[in-house]
Amino acid sequence: MDKKCGVYICEGCGIGDAIDIKDLCAVPEEEGLPVKTHPFLCGKDGLKLIQKDIADGTNTLVIGACSRRVNYDVFKFDGCIVDRVNLREQVVWSHPRSEFPALTEEQKDDDEHFDKLLMLAEDYLKMGMAKVEKIDLPEPHVVDSLSKKILIIGGGVTGMSAALDAAKTGYEVTIIEKEATLGGHAAHWRKQLPPQPPYEELVSPMADSLIRDVEAEDNITVRTETVVARIAGEPGEFVVTLKKPGEKIEFDVPFPLPDEMKVDADGKDLDVDKQHEAYLKFNKGKNDILTIDPDGEMFGAVVLAAGWRPYEPEEGEFAHLGLGELPDVVTNTQFEAIAKKGKITRPSDGREAQSVVFIQSPGNGSDNDFDYAGSVTSMVALKQATYVREDYDEGKAYVFYQHMRTPGLHENFYKSIQQDPGIFLTKGEVVSVSKNGKGLVIEADNTLLGDKIKVKADMVVLGTGMIPATKDDPIINLAYRQGPGFRDNALFNDYADSNFICFPYETQRTGIYAAGGIRRALTVEESMEDASGAALKAIQCIESTNRGVSVHPRSGDMTFPDFFFQRCTQCKRCTEECPFGALDDDEKGTPKPNPTRCRRCGTCMGACPERIIGFADYNIDSIGSMVKSIGVPSEDDYDEPPMRILGLICENDAYPALDIAGLNRLSYSADVRFIPVRCLGSVNVIWIKDALSQGMDGVFLMGCKHGDDYQCHFVKGSELAEIRMKKIGDALQSLALENERVTQFEVSIDEYDKIPQLVNEFVEMVEDIGPNPFKGF
Amino acid sequence: MADAYVVEPDVGFINEIKGLGGGDLKKCFQCATCSVACPIAPDNKPFPRKEMIAASWGLKDKLVGNGDIWLCHNCGDCSTLCPRGAKPGDVLSAIRAYAVIEYGPVKAIGKLINNPKMLPVVLGIPAVLFIVIGLITGLLDFTPEGDKIAHGHFFSTWLVDIMMIPAAIWTVANFAIGIKRFLGDMHRNALQDGKTDIQKIDPKGFIMGLVRVILPILKHDKFNECSENKDRATAHMMVLFGFIGLFIVTNIFFVALYGLQLHGPYSQLNPVKWLGNVAGISLIIGSLLMIKNRLAKKEDQVSSYKDWWLIIWALSLGVTGLLAEMTRLAGVAGLSYFIYFVHLMFVWSLFFFIAYSKLAHLVYRTMALGYNEYIGRQ
Repeated sequence: MDKKCGVYICEGCGIGDAIDIKDLCAVPEEEGLPVKTHPFLCGKDGLKLIQKDIADGTNTLVIGACSRRVNYDVFKFDGCIVDRVNLREQVVWSHPRSEFPALTEEQKDDDEHFDKLLMLAEDYLKMGMAKVEKIDLPEPHVVDSLSKKILIIGGGVTGMSAALDAAKTGYEVTIIEKEATLGGHAAHWRKQLPPQPPYEELVSPMADSLIRDVEAEDNITVRTETVVARIAGEPGEFVVTLKKPGEKIEFDVPFPLPDEMKVDADGKDLDVDKQHEAYLKFNKGKNDILTIDPDGEMFGAVVLAAGWRPYEPEEGEFAHLGLGELPDVVTNTQFEAIAKKGKITRPSDGREAQSVVFIQSPGNGSDNDFDYAGSVTSMVALKQATYVREDYDEGKAYVFYQHMRTPGLHENFYKSIQQDPGIFLTKGEVVSVSKNGKGLVIEADNTLLGDKIKVKADMVVLGTGMIPATKDDPIINLAYRQGPGFRDNALFNDYADSNFICFPYETQRTGIYAAGGIRRALTVEESMEDASGAALKAIQCIESTNRGVSVHPRSGDMTFPDFFFQRCTQCKRCTEECPFGALDDDEKGTPKPNPTRCRRCGTCMGACPERIIGFADYNIDSIGSMVKSIGVPSEDDYDEPPMRILGLICENDAYPALDIAGLNRLSYSADVRFIPVRCLGSVNVIWIKDALSQGMDGVFLMGCKHGDDYQCHFVKGSELAEIRMKKIGDALQSLALENERVTQFEVSIDEYDKIPQLVNEFVEMVEDIGPNPFKGF
Repeated sequence: MADAYVVEPDVGFINEIKGLGGGDLKKCFQCATCSVACPIAPDNKPFPRKEMIAASWGLKDKLVGNGDIWLCHNCGDCSTLCPRGAKPGDVLSAIRAYAVIEYGPVKAIGKLINNPKMLPVVLGIPAVLFIVIGLITGLLDFTPEGDKIAHGHFFSTWLVDIMMIPAAIWTVANFAIGIKRFLGDMHRNALQDGKTDIQKIDPKGFIMGLVRVILPILKHDKFNECSENKDRATAHMMVLFGFIGLFIVTNIFFVALYGLQLHGPYSQLNPVKWLGNVAGISLIIGSLLMIKNRLAKKEDQVSSYKDWWLIIWALSLGVTGLLAEMTRLAGVAGLSYFIYFVHLMFVWSLFFFIAYSKLAHLVYRTMALGYNEYIGRQ
């Protein structure tokens, strides 16, 4: 496209008061670009001004006004390249004239004084102008043969609910279930926790009515005794091979070589070729991931609702609680089965169990609940306590808990159970369960009733947890180079999840949405809510793919990574570092992009040493040009030139935090130039080298927290950036620059108040080191 | 370390406490706001948090003999602040009612007066007793003679005392038995729960403790520490002093009658008479105030049968007493005699049932406060 550029500067919101707009206009004028100002650019007249220019052929706009995070709908012009220069939040609001005074007439032309605020605004305007020159309007990626069908793995409550939700909105759904019948665990319970307000009474399990609904729904196909052999392809055009459980077929997905097979008999690592040989041997009879099953069924998206299985304690694991030794000590799942059969009786002698103790924490000095437990196990204990009371007038049920978790309105359930005079609740650590004549005696410490108490009972029930099916089986069997299952499940206690709070249902694989017990220990009600969420996500995925845009978290982003393959060295870094497994590689190691798996974070772009990956509006050159357009004053300009520091800012949390700092009029150094990046993972080291070699004094990256409780919107981005920054030290030393000049900060969106201090301390630190010797060259 | 306490919940006990005004006890979720809010709970093992869990677990043995339930004055601070509406103040009150029944030697009487359905029986007992004994002994004269109205003509003072003195002895005996058992239990409980190190009660020390608490009780010091229902202190004080005044007057006239052979009615100018009238009025106003307070606090405080029983009795006692006197002075003979008869019924039943009614707190709370003072629990 032939670009016709126009620059627009808003004087409102204090911009015109702090900066002499005429001075600022000189920047585009010098480049020969038309510039217009308006006292209220986002108002009707201001917009008219822009629209008139667009009608006259302007198609590339640099708008110097407020942050791009506000008024984004106002300054959106179809068919135009737009860059928003943040003069408000990151210039005038965060750099008051009281701290950064304007120059007097005498000061203007000496070599001693300079207007830091004006310099800041000028640089940002230059950066915007440089950027629009290097970017293009994106064109959507269109898939060849889009399927709008949704595959649901698991025919329990979650799977059936997701299927019904999706089917009712008009999508075709296939449920696969490995067992012979639908219903899952919920079909084998006596009663179910309350699914609706007022959340006080137990109900009959809903599995049966769901099965009837599923059978009556035309859009749903059910295939029982079926599992996934492999899911190949990408969202919108997944090619799925199904099989009977236990069957071995050529389209079973190849598994990565286990670690123990990567070494020879002496324990030394095998070389690459030998490993590949071993890999082929290990996966003998299975087709490579890139071989597409001609008989495979096409699906657009997948809901993973494979559920959970009851925790199976190892032998002697809870010996102090009598499990395995005393037949009347059972798990909650075993107790449910007993209760389903009829009146609660003891496994040992079939006698009535009139008094039952429910234990929620294994104790042994820790106050943790049983592994894989959650609020659901608390509530199941309350539910099962009522069984004892239902069955026997004289029944007594005791619940010993370290945590009684009844979230939200389930507090009503807790309250209603509490009212039963025969149900007794206390916090406390159960120390032992032992035999006492024909019954049991339970000893507990630190209870609400006192330090040490004993209770006699007929039976003991342990509130053991729910193991997600993905713990030791990939289930989804993806034909992805990174492997068939999810990565990093250990971070989420083996659950198939990607981030606890911000992105429910989204897994680390685009187009696969987890719901129900596989995602967390959940109740039926929570699982059904999950099912709706995952079904909606699956639909969103299909429709976004249909429009050629990104699904999430950059919803609607039309760009996708573009590879200049002629220069690819097959180093596989992009394939390996992509947090979403979007890239497969062929035998030679050339990456094969799968654009609809991609989330557009740019981690591949940051990883690529050859710098051959870029997006239409975000690439090595566009950011590099912005860096190069920053003015770096040297001693030739001023006696004591100010420092110039580059801040590469993650636009997910750090950039908004900076805006909030401005909104709160928190001021910080005017020597720093910020460039927003999609994710710290997309930061290519070349930008840092560019900045330093043109004389900038320091560079910092500011992004999300990583580690176990990571907040990175792209899972791995900030972690990878940190690794790359550590490695940059050698390069710095070769330039005889100090390592401290480059650093990385982790901030969360609510830490806006800490940002000024972080920035200022870094600037002071760099000032102490002294100016970059490359300045002025 | 003490041996583990074997927990044996008694569901029947829970249900009884619910019936006695502790209906919300199972709502407690053990946040201990109550113990923090309570202005008079001691720092060491404060109440009523621990009493609330014991109650919801039906641990009768942890409650009935627990002196702390008597330290509570049911001022209501805990109930007002309770986030779950468990009303700890009323639960303790219900536990006290249960304890009173438990320590009375004849439990059936306790059950009788706490059962609203048995109210006609409770009222009927003195009426029948008076009439039967009066007719048998001939001490009841339905056709009293004489110009002046004298209640003694209709209802011989002999008959009154034949009835009252045994009732008084009965009550003293009941309390004696109750106190003995209560003190033993209270001490055992205090030792078990670590409230005291004193192994054996020293009677002299205990009595000294009792003496030290008398003045604070009369001054209503504990009541005045409450913030929620401070106004109740005034009402309670009026009723208490009304009873004390009437007790003094009764004793003086008892001596006057039997010792000095002076028969009533006495002159209105007699200072003892003044005291009697003032005390009677104090009793009436005090109990009316109590009724007013309770009606105004329907939301925050449970008023169960046991509470109304005592207030109505106190009020009726005062009202019938004063009315009997006023009708006598007004010369309405028949009405005056009838009211006097009703008055005596109330006096007798109050006497007879003290050890089983809410009024027993007069004794048990005093004992508990004295014991607490003695063991030095702050």
